[in-house]
Amino acid sequence: MVGLSVGEKHFIQGGIAQDLRSDGRKRLTYRPIYVETGVIAQANGSARVKMGATDVIASVKAELGRPSPSHPDKGKVSIYVDCSPTAAPMFEGRGGEGLSTELSTALQRCLLGGKSGAGAGIDLSTLSIVEGKVCWDLYIDGLVISSDGNLLDALGAAIKAALSNTGIPKVHVAANVPSDEQPEVDISDEEFLQFDTSGVPVIVTLTKVGRYYIVDATSEEESQMSSAVSVSINRQGRICGLTKRGGAGLDPSIILDMISVAKHLSEQLINKLDSEISAAEACEEES
Amino acid sequence: MRGLQLSLNQTQKLRLERALEKLQSLSSKANTNASVTVADTIPVNYDDGVLKGHGTSELDGEVVATLCGVVERVNKLVYVRTLRARYKPEIGDIIVGRVIEVAPKRWRLEINFSQDAVLMLSSMNLPDGIQRRRTAVDELNMRSIFEENDVVCAEVRGFQHDGSLHLQARSQKYGKLERGQLLTIPPYLVKRRKQHFHHLDQYGIDLILGCNGFIWVGEHIEAKDDMVEDQVNKSEQQSVKSSTVKSSRSSLSLEEQEQTYTPPETRQNICRTANAVRVLSNLGFNITVEVIMETVNLSNSLNLDIHEMLGAEFCVLVAEREAERRSLIKKKG
Repeated sequence: MVGLSVGEKHFIQGGIAQDLRSDGRKRLTYRPIYVETGVIAQANGSARVKMGATDVIASVKAELGRPSPSHPDKGKVSIYVDCSPTAAPMFEGRGGEGLSTELSTALQRCLLGGKSGAGAGIDLSTLSIVEGKVCWDLYIDGLVISSDGNLLDALGAAIKAALSNTGIPKVHVAANVPSDEQPEVDISDEEFLQFDTSGVPVIVTLTKVGRYYIVDATSEEESQMSSAVSVSINRQGRICGLTKRGGAGLDPSIILDMISVAKHLSEQLINKLDSEISAAEACEEES
Repeated sequence: MRGLQLSLNQTQKLRLERALEKLQSLSSKANTNASVTVADTIPVNYDDGVLKGHGTSELDGEVVATLCGVVERVNKLVYVRTLRARYKPEIGDIIVGRVIEVAPKRWRLEINFSQDAVLMLSSMNLPDGIQRRRTAVDELNMRSIFEENDVVCAEVRGFQHDGSLHLQARSQKYGKLERGQLLTIPPYLVKRRKQHFHHLDQYGIDLILGCNGFIWVGEHIEAKDDMVEDQVNKSEQQSVKSSTVKSSRSSLSLEEQEQTYTPPETRQNICRTANAVRVLSNLGFNITVEVIMETVNLSNSLNLDIHEMLGAEFCVLVAEREAERRSLIKKKG
């Protein structure tokens, strides 16, 4: 990230205060979102999302595994994000690890909820095959190719698109198996079940610069932020997760205000994303 | 198009393709003979000795191109010039750069070139405008002129023996740029013209097209002429400056800051012009003031919101407009 001069920083803050940002957007306007699905053929589902110059890819792989003893009727999902060195020179070698772990934990919190699975955006009980013995393990991987701010929102959108593109193979479980042995599972190559993504939330990040909040900040605007709150909201308008970054403290009334603004924005974002995802899948079917 | 990441629907894709085909057919045919791709043989007269330059290599007794580009010949030298090369400075180029280091008696600037450019303290006008020898006190006060990350406009003075670039900023037009935004576009889109500083009167903004691909769009600042100032004016200004410096050290209250922001009208014009430059650079068209003004007028006439200028529809419209404009020029000429 190149530095900014005092004059440029002043210009950016003035723009946010006057509701006219550097590229002409209002404070609560998203950049055009571009979605492509099925970009990785070997994965069960994948998607690439571009928001301006921010470019991320998410892929979903499903493998058979054992459910954890404490939750025998639920599958497992693990989310991991990697920041590629092509995104920024500082990500070279191990430089991107701090940001990767931060994004991974934030996504896990927003999409998977707590340890008991409460409040999860993804319903884990749909991943169970044989209770206590066999379940689906979903490995969701995110890759940041180009970073121009607002990585969390882009990754959330990419994961939602990848999940709607995911086809989980149908399994036939051999019947009449004694209860303490591993059942035989036959994975079909032909039939696939589409993953149900109506409950998957989207993430809306509000960045506070000065007295105002903006959505979808570019990396220049993010360098001016005092704090940022990321809220993940599902279609029903319920909050699935909440993350705050940034060194400055926030008054509780401001956080409540940000949550209500995020809820309002999430409706438009979910509709926009759904239409883009269906357009992308239609494109993919044609080609 | 490299930068084009827009979701175009079917009709928009067709229109864009048609406009780009039209532009390609209008481009002069003479140059197509000279363009080569990797492993193409370059037609050379072998009787006069031929000097193989950059981008060529000898293969089976033939001169073969190793890059994709256009063949250039200078006397006996034959070389391949790539189209998307890094910025290649020439003496007298106006460039916009960013200070990355304050070094003894010089500033180092980043200008999108393979090396950093150097701006010597002696090539810079002092704030009080007097022509004198730079003393040690001047050297210690370099930070008060330019700090790290400042955006500076300067002119290429020349090359040193080791290949590094020297700049000068002697006229009042050059110097620190504040109150605006800096855009980065591929350098080959900015051609060398007579004028690179443009003051757009009707919008009240300054537009500086740096030859290195850095474009500055900002509020118009009157170039002050230091030499004409009186002693009285100078002392007044100095006291004002010291008070603003003091107040910027202790955090300016929000109201005071808000008063110093750019007025909304000017800001809208700045954003519109900046978006016009972004659209044109995404489409790969040459950036000149006329084209930028036309794009801004087009967006104004369509009553588009400023951020919609970066959308798919406007992009296609700009491409079609450019195809029309070039076909008109061709018909006249």
